[in-house]
This record gives sequence, structure tokens and C-alpha cells, in this order.
Amino acid sequence: MTNSVVKTICADQWRYWLRTKVATTVLLFGAILTLAALVVNAFHIHETTHAREHLQQEAEQRFLSQPDKHPHRMVHYGHYVFRTPTALSVIEPGVDTYTGNAIFLEGHRQNSAMFAEQRQSAGLTRFSSLTPSFLALVLAPLFIILIGYGSVSREREAGTLTLLLSQGATRQQLVFGKLIALTLASAALLLPLIIASMYVAFFSESAAVVALFCVGYVFYFLFWAALVTASSAIFSRSNVSFTVLIVVWMATCVLLPRLGSSVATNAVPSLGKLESDFKVEEKLRSLGDGHDVNDPAFKKLRSDLLAKYNVSSVDELPVNFRGIVAQYSEGRQAKVLNEFAENRMQEELDQAQIARQFGWLSPTVALRAFSTLLAGTSIETHHRFLREAEALRLEFVQGLNKIHAEKLDFKLDMNRNKSEEAADKAVVSASNWAILSSFQFEPESPSARINSATVYGFQLLLWLGLSFALLQLAVRRLHP
Amino acid sequence: MQNTSVINANNLTVTIGQRTLLNNLNFEVGKGEVFALLGGNGAGKSTTLKTFLGLMKPNNGHASVMGFDVSTRINDVRKSVAYLPESVTLYGHLSGVENIRYFLSVAGIERDDSSIFDALKKVKLQENAWHSHLSNYSKGMRQKTAIALALLRSAPVLFLDEPTSGLDPAAIDEFNNLVSELSDNGATIFMVTHDVYGACQVAHRIVLLSNGTLTGSFEREGNTPIDTEAVHAAFAGRAQ
Repeated sequence: MTNSVVKTICADQWRYWLRTKVATTVLLFGAILTLAALVVNAFHIHETTHAREHLQQEAEQRFLSQPDKHPHRMVHYGHYVFRTPTALSVIEPGVDTYTGNAIFLEGHRQNSAMFAEQRQSAGLTRFSSLTPSFLALVLAPLFIILIGYGSVSREREAGTLTLLLSQGATRQQLVFGKLIALTLASAALLLPLIIASMYVAFFSESAAVVALFCVGYVFYFLFWAALVTASSAIFSRSNVSFTVLIVVWMATCVLLPRLGSSVATNAVPSLGKLESDFKVEEKLRSLGDGHDVNDPAFKKLRSDLLAKYNVSSVDELPVNFRGIVAQYSEGRQAKVLNEFAENRMQEELDQAQIARQFGWLSPTVALRAFSTLLAGTSIETHHRFLREAEALRLEFVQGLNKIHAEKLDFKLDMNRNKSEEAADKAVVSASNWAILSSFQFEPESPSARINSATVYGFQLLLWLGLSFALLQLAVRRLHP
Repeated sequence: MQNTSVINANNLTVTIGQRTLLNNLNFEVGKGEVFALLGGNGAGKSTTLKTFLGLMKPNNGHASVMGFDVSTRINDVRKSVAYLPESVTLYGHLSGVENIRYFLSVAGIERDDSSIFDALKKVKLQENAWHSHLSNYSKGMRQKTAIALALLRSAPVLFLDEPTSGLDPAAIDEFNNLVSELSDNGATIFMVTHDVYGACQVAHRIVLLSNGTLTGSFEREGNTPIDTEAVHAAFAGRAQ
């Protein structure tokens, strides 16, 4: 009988929603919006993935098909690397929308990632982008509130609560029946996301990652369904329940995520891009000009090399001194560039970690961290992309510098600007461009992503536990 | 009417904070008896009903129905009783028949449609309203639907909260006839009301309640209704 009473109460709640139409309209609107966002995002990600893969191949082909050239011209010719979106970014684009996904690699500098779709906001909550995760994190709770804020209080206001209890229904059965009804309603909003995740899992993502990703969203939706039902049972009037829930929604979904970003930015202040670029430039200048072999910065390098080969002038060296200088200079520059880049990335990571601690205050922040880490769209993944791109840059630039040092005669090189004919002679074979390694960026391994997301999974679990504890309290306090 | 005690209040006391809502109530209601608890606003009538329905807990004493203590066996109590609230608040989005089906289902009682239709006929709810939404019903029609629900529960005990409040005279007569019929068939009826005339017409016993304390009792002798004048005088005197 216990189950049948719960089922009866749940079914009647649905009958009420269907007949009054308000809740079903909200539900339909939410489901269509989620579905639309998913379809649009899926098409966009699909196109972007193909476009970036194509562009990556094209960039490599273009580099490799360059004619015989001076190797340092190839250093400046440069190369592009692209980050293809991860499978789950269809649902959770994470930081991808504002970090950029392509980098132009060239000698002597580390360029920023380009083509970010949205740079105007660094906050964790972005009203301007209607991604499936934004809908699930921010709008779905609002829909759940609109549907369920009066599910129990309506019974009390209408006086049917007394009659229901007098028929033998217990308060637990009543509240549980309402909770199941609201959970099923929430499932209509969640289902498109789950189906899309399954689709992703089927093709190109670890089943464990997708399963946990889905569990995170299920926990979040359950949290809201339990909270809304509890509020509806605790407050005797529907309008009070609605007001309280809207305040909680504003705080957890809108204010706390932004507060987290602001606190993080203030706690770990970072230099602006312009200021940072000036500092890098200043430090690089002190290292000397790698294009000028007579720069005093390379005096010791010259004397050490002459001593090593036991010769009196660079003309007599068995290697091209310009190439050696380029190699030496690039190595030192890379150290400086990496030092600044690592500092900046550490600052960004520290900021992200501080912002994520707000997950103890807001389940929205907890799920955002959980889903971006699992989807491979977190700041950590972006940093890995930057590091891998930099490793490739240094590898091919130093590879070209090595070719410069070993395969191009120093005298031909020094005379290259004297005539067109001399310039034509100061080249190396195009076959040398094969030193370029192909670039393919992959997200972290499933186990690494699961490990890093675990703590935020616990945050979500804690929120779910709290909402059910509140529900228990609501059951105890429920009186006609 | 038999002497078997069906409803029992034994030193029943209910307090909220410093306020004593029911003060040491003692009474028994026998099988088939129509018992009316008469009192003014705030006398404690609804509190008494809520206590017997397990919606309020006694601080002292005991309340029992069919031998089941409301504090420890409330589920058994609820299975034995049918309750008719003062303002019958069924669901506006459901029809009369759907409301009855729903509440029966919550009570774990199965009745086929013909039984439901028979009950609705018995309470004289016009047939063309059976499948209309309750939001279109008058108060009397809602009352009849709730009575039909109570009949279908076949409960041996009926708790009625101001059952004739807001009904027109014809509907009150119909209601009183129905109560008498149920009583004749062995149902025990406990009603709380401030309608002196109605109570005198239908009740076997009237007990006056004032400020949570029982202050007087009147019993029917044979088939003669209780003297309205006497009850009214006592009621008015206590209410002053």
C-alpha cells in the first residue's frame, strides 16, 4: 500500500500539472530550449572539430611544402596548432568559449591562443552563452522551482492536506510522492543531456567519464527537486516558498559563482596582458638579439666555441655560428617566456582553485567544476594545450636552428644579403622541413580527469545529502 | 445504538505553548451514536477533531477510536474513520468521481465505478455534475461529494466538522436524514458544530465545549429531538 499511495500522489501531481498547463508549458519550454542548445552546439562542435582537424593538416602540409629556404625564414614562417574540442564539450564547453583554440607558433615569441568565441566574461556564470550546461546549471533549477514551488503548500492552502492525511496517507508518502513527481518533471529537462552524453560515449569518450558526468547532473537535478519539495512543505504559503526559492536560486546560481570569480581575482591578482608583455619584452631584450652574431651578449659563447674547436675565428668553425647563436638565444628566450607563462598559468590555476572552493557554498559551482574537469574543458586542459604547443614550437624552431648551424655554410649565410644570387645560395633543402612533428591534442586520460573531479563530486554529494536532510526536516514539520 | 464505546477521551489535554486548547476532556461515544460537540468559535471543537485524527498530539490523557490510541496507532485509527472537513476542499482540477477515486486510492480502498455512482446517487448529487470539475461545484455539491467519499470508505466512525455550515435548508434536511440513516446502520458519528438547531435535530447527545472544557450535556430521550431552547440557553450562557 505504501508504494501505491506514493504512486497515486505522484500521478495526481502530474495530472494537476497536465490539466493546469502552466507547469507543462514551462517543462516543454525548458526541454525544447535544452534540445535546441544541444543540437546547435553539437553542430557547431562537429563543424569546429572537422574544420580544426582540416586546418591542422593544411598547416602541416603548407609548412612541409615550402621550397628550399634559409632555415631562419622558416623559423619566422611559423606554424599553426589547433585544439579540437573534446567530445563532451557538446554539453560542457567550459573555458573553451573564452580561452581560444589556435596558436601561431614562431621563433622568439609565445603567441596567445586565438579565436575565442567569447572573451567578454571570465566569470563562471555566463549569461551570454546559451550552452546546454548553462541551461542545466542555471535555467533548469529555475524551471524546477516554477514547476514545484507549490506542490505541497498548495495542498495546505487548499485544505486538502488534512483530508489526505485523514485518509491514511502519511506525511512521508505525501512528500515523497511530490518529490518523485518533481524529479520526473526534472528528468524531462535532463533527458536530452543524458541522451547526448550517451551518444558521445558511444563514439568517442570513456564510458566511465560519461557515466560520472551524467551522475553529476542527476545529483544536481535531484538536489533541486528535493530542495524545492522541502521548501514547499516547510512554508505554509506557496508565495513564501516561491520567494525563498528564488532567493536561493539567485544566490547559488548567479551570485556565488560570480563572487567566487571576483574573490579569486582579488586574492590572486595577475598582471594585465599589456603590462605582462612589456615585462617579457624587457627581459628578452637583456638577453641580446639572436639575429646579430656580434651582439655582446654572445661574446662568451663565441670564445667558448672558438676554444672548443681550437680555432681563432668563427669563419673557421665547423658549424655555422649564426645557427649556433640562434639556437643559444632561442633556448634562453624560451626559458624566460616559459617562466612568465608558467607564472601566469599558476595564477590562473590558483584563481580557478579558489573559485572552485565556492562549490562548498553553491552546488552550481560544484557541478561546473565537476563537469568541466570531466569534459576536458577546464583551465588545466587549456594550460596543457599551451604547454604542448610551446613544446612543439621550441622543438621545430630549435630543429631549424640546428639545421641552420649544421647544414648551412657560415660564409654563404653571412653574404646572403649581398645579392640575389647570394641569397639563393644561402638556403637548405626543403626535405629538412620534415623535422616538424604533427600535432594532435588530446584531453587528459579518463582516470586523470576522474581523479581531479572527485573532490567536486563529493561537494555535489554533500549538497544532495543536505537537501535530503532538509526534506526529512520538512516531513517532520509538515502540519495541516 | 449500543453501549460499546467507540470513541473515547480520557483526561484529554492539548496545549500549545502556554495556551491550553483542551482541558481534561472526558467522554465516550457509543456505537451508532450521533454525538455533537457544540461550542462557539475558539472553544476547541476543531482541536478535538484534529486530535482524534492524529493531526495534533495530546500532552496529557488519551484519545482512542475503536480501541486504537491515536498517539500510538494512528494508522489503524485512520483506517477506521471517515472525515468530512468544514469547508470541503477537494481538488478543483478533478471531477467529483475523480476526487472520490483519488482519495479512495490514497486510503487503499478499491471501489468499482458502479459503487461510486451508487454513493453519489445516495447523497443526491445530480448526475450531470459527476464528471464536471469540482471548480464548478457549489458548496453543497462539494459537501455531497465528500459525504459520498465517506460512505464509500465504509468506515464505522465518521468525524464531521461543521457539516451543515453554508448549506441551504433543503440540503441540511437531506444531510440530517443521511446522518440518521448511517447511524441506524451502525455508524458512529462525531460532529463538531455551532449549529444548535441542526445538532438538536440529529444528535443523540450534545456536549457543550467552552474554552477547551466540557460544560454541559444533553441527551435525546426516545425519538424526541433534544430541546433546542434548553441547549440554546446553556450555549448562549456559556458563550457569554
